[in-house]
Amino acid sequence: MSDTTQFRVLDFDCPSCASTVERALSNVDGVEDVEVHYSTGRVEVEYDDGVADPDAFAQTIENQGYTPQPA
Amino acid sequence: MNGQTITRYYRNHRKATVTATSGLLYGGGWSLGYLTSFDAASAAVLVLATVVGGYDIAKTAYHEVTNRTLGIKTLVTLAAVGAVVIGEYWEAAAVVFLFSLGSYLEGRTMRKTRTALQELLEMTPDTATVRRDGELREVPAREVEEGEVVVVKPGGKVPVDGTVVDGESAVNQAPVTGESAPVHKADGDEVYAGTVNQEGALEIRTTGAGSDTTLERIIRRVEEAQEAQSPTESLIDRFAKYYTPAVIVLAIGAYAVTQNAILSLTLLVIGCPGALVIGPPVSIVSAIGNAARSGVLMKGGEHLERAGKIDLVAFDKTGTLTEGETAVADVEGFGVADDEVLALAATAEKKSEHHLADAIVDAARERPTAATDGGATVVQADDTDASLQSIPDPDDFDVVAGKGVIAHTDGHQVVVGNRALLDDRDIDVTSRIADYVREREERGETVVHVVRDGDVVGAIAMRDELRETAPGVVAALRDAGIETVMLTGDNERTAAAVAEEVGIDDYRAELLPEDKQSVIETLQGEGHVVAMVGDGINDAPSLATADVGIAMGAAGTDTAIETADMALMADDLERIPYAVTLSKATRRNVLENVGLAVLTVTVLLAGVLTSYVTLAAGMLVHEASVLLVILNGMRLLRH
Repeated sequence: MSDTTQFRVLDFDCPSCASTVERALSNVDGVEDVEVHYSTGRVEVEYDDGVADPDAFAQTIENQGYTPQPA
Repeated sequence: MNGQTITRYYRNHRKATVTATSGLLYGGGWSLGYLTSFDAASAAVLVLATVVGGYDIAKTAYHEVTNRTLGIKTLVTLAAVGAVVIGEYWEAAAVVFLFSLGSYLEGRTMRKTRTALQELLEMTPDTATVRRDGELREVPAREVEEGEVVVVKPGGKVPVDGTVVDGESAVNQAPVTGESAPVHKADGDEVYAGTVNQEGALEIRTTGAGSDTTLERIIRRVEEAQEAQSPTESLIDRFAKYYTPAVIVLAIGAYAVTQNAILSLTLLVIGCPGALVIGPPVSIVSAIGNAARSGVLMKGGEHLERAGKIDLVAFDKTGTLTEGETAVADVEGFGVADDEVLALAATAEKKSEHHLADAIVDAARERPTAATDGGATVVQADDTDASLQSIPDPDDFDVVAGKGVIAHTDGHQVVVGNRALLDDRDIDVTSRIADYVREREERGETVVHVVRDGDVVGAIAMRDELRETAPGVVAALRDAGIETVMLTGDNERTAAAVAEEVGIDDYRAELLPEDKQSVIETLQGEGHVVAMVGDGINDAPSLATADVGIAMGAAGTDTAIETADMALMADDLERIPYAVTLSKATRRNVLENVGLAVLTVTVLLAGVLTSYVTLAAGMLVHEASVLLVILNGMRLLRH
């Protein structure tokens, strides 16, 4: 089943950083669609809940050097 | 302060700490080199400054590379490493420090824009007092079920959307509708989560809680609007895709030709069109955020950019310039008692949904009893209030769009309508009746004739009061250089009288609903960029046709928000000049930002290629331009 989760990242400091996070999230197993918006800091991940673990998304964002907050 | 707090503090302020440390080391290294002859020591400190400031940048650069994106951090890392390799330690440290400082400030300022909407959400309380099993319980607001009754104390915030079932109060709806004046709420009125109950206790039957409230829906829409790319933004994004690789190719080419490493590295530093990419979104996000807090929902950058070009605003009259609460002002019988005229008309109009019909039916209900036509029975069937007259149903009835109704009751044919309907049916209007009609119309009233079996037996004059704010709004638009036009289904005389009262430039009268759309098309054909203001439901087609459709009183009505490009949450006409000037300011702001960015890139490129600008200076100008466009865009938060 497909599910969607959201985060808010307030500390993106350049538009290319947002694209990098988008790429990184889309490489996580089970992720079907990712949208990262630089201007609002909103991150939306659509994933297969049988495969992907939403906790891994927050970790991925943190690994890129940004602070995800639940939205 | 123990170790743990220090760690936590550091984690929360990592960027600031790193930037400051790298800055101090940079200053120390530079002083050592400048004031003493310890060149090796100076170099070591500068390299340390580069490493401290550059570690996080390089880490992100690594992610950029592994994710195969080409970002500014990769370019900065390359430039810093390159500078260290060729022995330009000072340049390396300066580039890293300036970039850290720039992105720290960038992140901080962008956070302000990003949280502008969050403040709205914080208006909703976390808990609600619910009546469950006969007792009051404090529960999380998100867990309130539809249909449950929530109690809100005076001074408390409303936790859910719902309908008032008990109590009476004044509610401040500013967070949802932007209205500054509190709104009176009593039995049956709708209240929204996030609004503030100012006077008496209210009991509210929940219609929506958690993410299913008007405020949450508005905020979701606003965010979608902020994220939607405007034409300028997509153009720039396409350009940026080629710009960065092009600069890298140029850097390699320049090195191959000139063997000048500094020149090539500097090109890398300015290879990200920062200000150009960041400027327009910041302007648009700030403007949309500002509008949202004032109760104006803008559907996106595209609409905002178009709204910036508006030079004519068309207003629907009823419910927009006027209160939309039509009331009977006078009834005149011609050879028949006034009350009988009203009763006849009310029966004929009872099943009609037209706003004039509502006014007639309401007036007839409020008349004193026992004054109806002998045939009409007075029964208190569906009216709960015994002091109100009951209106009998017509035997049948037909609506003639834009003209009136034809009904049968008690063996009589009753026609209620305007002059056009009477002319269609060859019904004579005596000069006495025509005089009465003209006199009322010249006061801005709308008059319908009441015809029984082919004879005009009376006329009913109705009045829809102008909104107090209407003349001021029209004047404000004129001051902003914008023309105004009023569109109405009223006849020429009524329209002229209302237009004069409002002080509007021009009016179009006797329009059927579909005519309004073609009037808009004609105005567009004359070269105008047209905004249309209406209620968003009846005016949906003309709102869609206009360059910018503005719906009024949209809180709670999703249809209005769907069709319009902009929606005013409250029936607050004064938001129109605000929305229009904000759009114009945004358009100007976007152009300023694009201009500034293009100028910066041009000057930098020229400076680098002529070797006037080196690494540190290039970075300084680059970061300064980015901050400048962000700060410029943020001015729109305070429009």
